[in-house]
Amino acid sequence: MPLLKDPERTERKNLHRFADFAGKRVLEIGCGDGRMTWQYAKQTKFVAGIDLEADDLRVATIERPSDVPASFVRADSIRIPFANEKFDLAILAWSF
Amino acid sequence: MVHALNEIQRVLAPNGSLIDLRPMMSNWAIEVASMREVQEVGRVSDLPEGLEDDHAANESMAKAEAQKQFVREQEEFFPFFYYWDSPNEMKEYMDEDWSDIITIDEDTWKNVQSMWAVANADARLRIRVKMMITRWKKI
Repeated sequence: MPLLKDPERTERKNLHRFADFAGKRVLEIGCGDGRMTWQYAKQTKFVAGIDLEADDLRVATIERPSDVPASFVRADSIRIPFANEKFDLAILAWSF
Repeated sequence: MVHALNEIQRVLAPNGSLIDLRPMMSNWAIEVASMREVQEVGRVSDLPEGLEDDHAANESMAKAEAQKQFVREQEEFFPFFYYWDSPNEMKEYMDEDWSDIITIDEDTWKNVQSMWAVANADARLRIRVKMMITRWKKI
């Protein structure tokens, strides 16, 4: 494991410059273990995170702070298990 | 990614936004960083799979734009740093997590090790990943 990832918090700063999360319904595609989710989730109405990696999703679920409105689902981005027009904002996170 | 973009468009409300945040292959710099100075000691080599992934993602977004699914509102690049305590820890991480997208050639590896050997006591080794962030609006 790397000693540190982004201690300068450039990702967080840029994410918040590009998106207004306040009161938004957010879908994060490729949420992994929630590392990025925690950088904005508190301000949202709710966050749904999807990923294919069950182990990462388990970590995200365990580490979710109790005051953060987030849930995590194992799903593929080519078949997103939510209704039409459910979200105000989508984040494609680190999709290589 | 084309199919994913169709799905994202479906679940986004009218005027919803998509943030595309991802690393770009660009022979990321390897640096020795201490409180006193930052020194670039080499560059990683991009592998075809990483470059193809970049190309495919860019093409998918361009297609979505051409088909008027999304319109690009803002795009910028910024650095994202990974830090390690030693060259071996960095190499181990690269081999485990990035072996399909980047590699480090022998000359660069030797240079990293020799520069690390004379680095300041508080130095850390880091890789500067080029990140792209784009905000798209659903049309």
